Amino acid sequence: MVNQPSLEVIAPSIEEALARGLAELGVTADAVTMEVLDPGSRGFLGFGARQVRIRLTLKPPEETVMGRMQRQAQEPEAVDEEPAAEAAPAQDEPQDDTPAEPVDETADQVREVVETLLRLMDIRYQEVRVKRGERDNDLVYVDIEGKDLNILIGRRAEVLNAFQYIVSLIIGKRLQRWVQVVVDVQGYRKRRERSLQLLAQRMADQAVKTGRRQMLEPMPANERRIIHLALRHREDVETLSVGDEPHRKVTIAPRR
Amino acid sequence: MKALAEYIARELVENPEAVEVREKYQRGRLRLEMRVAKPDMGRIIGKHGRVANAIRVLLRVAGERRGKRVTLDILEP
Repeated sequence: MVNQPSLEVIAPSIEEALARGLAELGVTADAVTMEVLDPGSRGFLGFGARQVRIRLTLKPPEETVMGRMQRQAQEPEAVDEEPAAEAAPAQDEPQDDTPAEPVDETADQVREVVETLLRLMDIRYQEVRVKRGERDNDLVYVDIEGKDLNILIGRRAEVLNAFQYIVSLIIGKRLQRWVQVVVDVQGYRKRRERSLQLLAQRMADQAVKTGRRQMLEPMPANERRIIHLALRHREDVETLSVGDEPHRKVTIAPRR
Repeated sequence: MKALAEYIARELVENPEAVEVREKYQRGRLRLEMRVAKPDMGRIIGKHGRVANAIRVLLRVAGERRGKRVTLDILEP
């Protein structure tokens, strides 16, 4: 029996805890089961108030958006991946040989929005590549290629994340449905993902070796998610996010 | 800069015709004052100001390209 990864979230209300947890895991509500561990209490005049604590457990990956995303995100040369516990075959990145869709309205709209924003921001680029998630039509990858685009990444990807967020919002508004847009610049996210996965393994080893909880630097939700996912199959540690945005960080604790 | 703020705002609101951005220069700083229809305030500000802050980040970058410091204020209509 595969132990599905779970995440505990503490927040002032159940709605907020759920929203936070979903953002962190990068999934929608249908991809998880929720368990209320502590319904919290308002206390009296602010005294003795307790926050709500919930646990979100991922449903088996083949049924969820994240399962699809994660398989797509896996790089073929990944070295320290544990053998995939899920039965579904690993999918390769969608390559250029994927059958061309006749008319791809979503991709066209995404391209138009990205190019308009870049133009209005005075950012010169060489190419904007847009590709759809292979199985999930509402997942779109955008790759911006060009020279000197570090300005579009910013410190700790602040600019890139803001750009991605605005593009997702505009597309969601135009199409009246939620489309997840992942924007990358010169392969930055790929490289960052790789180094976060290595960091996760190293810190997990450290946690096991010392028997102590390891605390990582504050990270945005999408990066914390990479850490949670990197360690989901490790039986010897468990991960938990603590603190409030934007200082929320992942802790890795040895499992007894 | 104004064009960037207007573009994003008009894409996000229900009443694009009500979006108005004014530019004010104050000691080398560019201050953008944005007004949107009242029911659209939430869309432009977002939970905990997340949308407004993302717009500010993009404006900052666009400003850096032109050597300007930009601030964005969202005002009641």
